[in-house]
Amino acid sequence: MSAIKGFAARLRALLSPRTTERSLNEEIEFHIEQETEKNLRLGMSHAEARRRALVEFGGLSQTREAHHDVYAARPLEELVADTRYTLRTMRRTPVLAGAAILTLALGIGANTAIFSAVNAVVLQPLPFPNPKQLYMVWEENPEKGWYKQVAAPANMLDWKEQVAAFADVMAYSEGFGTATLTENGEPTIVRPAFGTGNFFSVLGARAALGRTFVDAETWKTGHRIAVLSHHLWRDRFGGDRNIIGRTIQLDGAPIQVVGVMPASFDYPNEKVDLWEPWAWDPSNRQQVSFRRAHWLSVVARVTPGISQDAANAQLQAVVKRLQRDYPGTNRVMGAGITPLHEFLVGDTRLPLLVLLGAVALLLLIACANVGNLMLVKAADREREAALRLALGAGRRRLVRQALTESLVMSLVGGLAGIALGMWGTRALQAMQPAGMLRVSHFNFDWVVFGYVLAITTVSGLLFGIAPALWSSRRAPQDALKEGGRGGSQSRRMRRWGERLVIGEVALALMLSVGAALLVRSLLRLQQVDPGFDPNGAIAARLELPGTRYDTGDKANNFFSRLEEQLRSIPGVQSVGSTSDVPLTGGGYSSDFVVAGWPEGTYGSEVLHRRVTPEFFKAIRTPVLAGRAFTVDDRAKSASVVIINEALAKKHFKGQDPIGQRISFDKVPDSSSTWSTIVGIVKDQHQSKLGIEPQIEVFEPLTQSPTGGMSVIVRTAGDPASLGPAIRRTVAAMDRSLALSSVETLNQIRAESLARERFLTTLLLLFAGVGLALAVVGVYGVMAQMARRRVREMGIRLALGAQANDVRWLVVRNGLRLVTIGLAIGTAGAFAATRTMQALLFGIAPKDPLTFVVVPALLVLTALVATWMPASYASRADPATALRAE
Amino acid sequence: MQPPSSDVLRGTLDLLILKTLTLEPMHGWGIGQRIQQLSRGVLDANQGSLYPAFQRLEQKGWIESEWRTTENNRRAKYYRLTTAGRRAVGAEAASWRRYVEAVELILQTT
Repeated sequence: MSAIKGFAARLRALLSPRTTERSLNEEIEFHIEQETEKNLRLGMSHAEARRRALVEFGGLSQTREAHHDVYAARPLEELVADTRYTLRTMRRTPVLAGAAILTLALGIGANTAIFSAVNAVVLQPLPFPNPKQLYMVWEENPEKGWYKQVAAPANMLDWKEQVAAFADVMAYSEGFGTATLTENGEPTIVRPAFGTGNFFSVLGARAALGRTFVDAETWKTGHRIAVLSHHLWRDRFGGDRNIIGRTIQLDGAPIQVVGVMPASFDYPNEKVDLWEPWAWDPSNRQQVSFRRAHWLSVVARVTPGISQDAANAQLQAVVKRLQRDYPGTNRVMGAGITPLHEFLVGDTRLPLLVLLGAVALLLLIACANVGNLMLVKAADREREAALRLALGAGRRRLVRQALTESLVMSLVGGLAGIALGMWGTRALQAMQPAGMLRVSHFNFDWVVFGYVLAITTVSGLLFGIAPALWSSRRAPQDALKEGGRGGSQSRRMRRWGERLVIGEVALALMLSVGAALLVRSLLRLQQVDPGFDPNGAIAARLELPGTRYDTGDKANNFFSRLEEQLRSIPGVQSVGSTSDVPLTGGGYSSDFVVAGWPEGTYGSEVLHRRVTPEFFKAIRTPVLAGRAFTVDDRAKSASVVIINEALAKKHFKGQDPIGQRISFDKVPDSSSTWSTIVGIVKDQHQSKLGIEPQIEVFEPLTQSPTGGMSVIVRTAGDPASLGPAIRRTVAAMDRSLALSSVETLNQIRAESLARERFLTTLLLLFAGVGLALAVVGVYGVMAQMARRRVREMGIRLALGAQANDVRWLVVRNGLRLVTIGLAIGTAGAFAATRTMQALLFGIAPKDPLTFVVVPALLVLTALVATWMPASYASRADPATALRAE
Repeated sequence: MQPPSSDVLRGTLDLLILKTLTLEPMHGWGIGQRIQQLSRGVLDANQGSLYPAFQRLEQKGWIESEWRTTENNRRAKYYRLTTAGRRAVGAEAASWRRYVEAVELILQTT
């Protein structure tokens, strides 16, 4: 209680110093009057009485001062004073302050932007109730090299029923192509996601309007239902609240809207326009394909209180049982669980952490630069500090003042940094390649604010500590003496400067090496031959609704007529179609057996693609042996396939594959189809340039019909200009069709590198800024050193040294520091870039070229940075230099 | 750092003020007068030093102040012991007595 009263008294005094002073004055006045009255009663004259009273009281101003010392909350008051003082100096030296603040703002701004992404993607929990109970359940198959893969429906249903630790298990699939919504005018392409009936309830998501699915709707109910995403409901249906219960036309079939999700719900990704339950036929469960085909993403909600290990142990027991009960499909099929959040963050974590590391280095460089500025300032104020020390100021007081200065500086820089960071955050969201960050919107929230505050404070301390310690450790008499000679250097001051140069060079080297590695890796990627000619061709994606194109013939006819009509467009050289465009991910894969192989042997994971006869010509993939498909490869003619080079090399060592027969069953029987290999084509990179081509077979569309195809149109002119003509052609053939994408092959190729380019661009940007800051920093320190040696240089010149010798003296000193910095930086870069291994293609993290060229470039830049101060020093006029006292 | 002797002095003044206030709330001048009277004029506290002492004690929470009107109808700041202050008087007095005894011992033996 008494402590509180005491504190209240201090606070009052701090907040209203005038009231306190007035009160004290009144009290003293009262005292003196009383004393005067007493003296009057003792018989003194009025003047004498008052004089004696004043003498008796002692020094009035001393009392006031003493009173003030006791009263004012001293540290607080000093803080206010120091802050005011700092702001005043900043106003007096706007260029210096501006440079420091801008430097800090760059460092802090970059950190803010990157951290806000890390926060949203990695740190923030999933937006579902009790998100820690959610796990991704995946399958693995060592024989096929599967790890963390999608699961088979029958296995998923068994887990749901038999693993007691799973409160519930749902499954969904996002890769189900597109559908055409013919409602309210123009046909639009929408992206549906399919899930089990408990898709929403396992996540704990509720509908904003209407309802979500019920578990029973996993199975066929007789009529189709859908839940709309908020954006589809808003954009396509004008936010009509009466939509619930209405029937809309999807791919020409009626489907009833039962609910609308809130805007915040975007699982599994923000592109999903509507969700549909699968409505499986219950008889599917007995069919072997339900256990053989793997295509489900499975999410389990674990019973509260059950650990990951316990849940996994129970799952393994069920997995073992399934392996025993279904050897045909499950003999080597394993399964496991990963926390859902961790699974979804997946491979975005590493790039984000690399970026976070890069901006941390950038901030350190910025701190070193500002530290140097502060040091220079402290040196200029050397005399002031010395004088204050001599007059009795405590060293601690001086340190505190210096630290306050740097903290105020960093806070102002931090504010500017936040502004820059907010802009950067928006730029980052706009620039990020689609789907790279799982979260498409991230905001500046309290976590980010806390982080910014922390790094701001830490950087303030970092760059403030050197000048603070430096100024306080000085012996006043030395400083005053040196100060008397017009501010010369102390050895300690120079050591700090040298350390800064070394540090900055080391940091800049680490940053630049990281960026250079990524650049080299990207260049390598761009040189990879995709297996086709991306120039001069455009791809248009089309999904024929199965409701109207319900037979293979109808689909085949449509595509052959479409190709025919497109060929008649002027300038078009060739037209061919494929079920999957290279570099966008492959189609489905299967096992296979070649006729004549010993019984029981089979190959795995061969990709399948359907193509039309002119596809290889249109995309310019050379046929290496045999022939391409022709119009004579009809539905009813002999079954034929074309294989890629990888398959020929891997499984037909030394034999000619042409004419051999292949089947896509693991254990062929009398019902199996055998296809004859008629050609070998050059490998296309199916999923990414950085991933080796997989073994693949091509089937003629006629013999394996599908409604989802991409038409490749090659032209002599600009392929992009063909887009409208293709749209018109499709619309003329079927009004209700819409193209789900129209992109040139070059665009597709660029998109497949978008992530790498994004990461490289950002790192290059940070490295560039870091390098520029470091060069400025090195220049600053060297210039300062040169300036301080002008007198020395003057003497040297007067004694007969040549300008060149003097220049060399300064440059040599600079190079010595740069070399030490490079050595440290190289060691650091070796250690740091190891973590980047997974992000690099075709080069090692210890890439020799990078580790030679980047340091060489740095030496060159550092030479420039030291040359200017050196030539300044060499121009010192001996007479003026010696007189400059 | 203050010379140690002034610390002792200051501690004494604080004790004297506290002791004086055990009788009744008083204003600053009154306290000074009372100390002089009670010590029969031996202790003449430097009047100027009284006021910083008041602030110190107030911050320790041992005394409280309040503006009141005197018998002569003048406004004056009155100081009064708090409960914590009342406790402190005992402790301070005991410590002072120990000090005096110690000094006395030394004086007797030499």
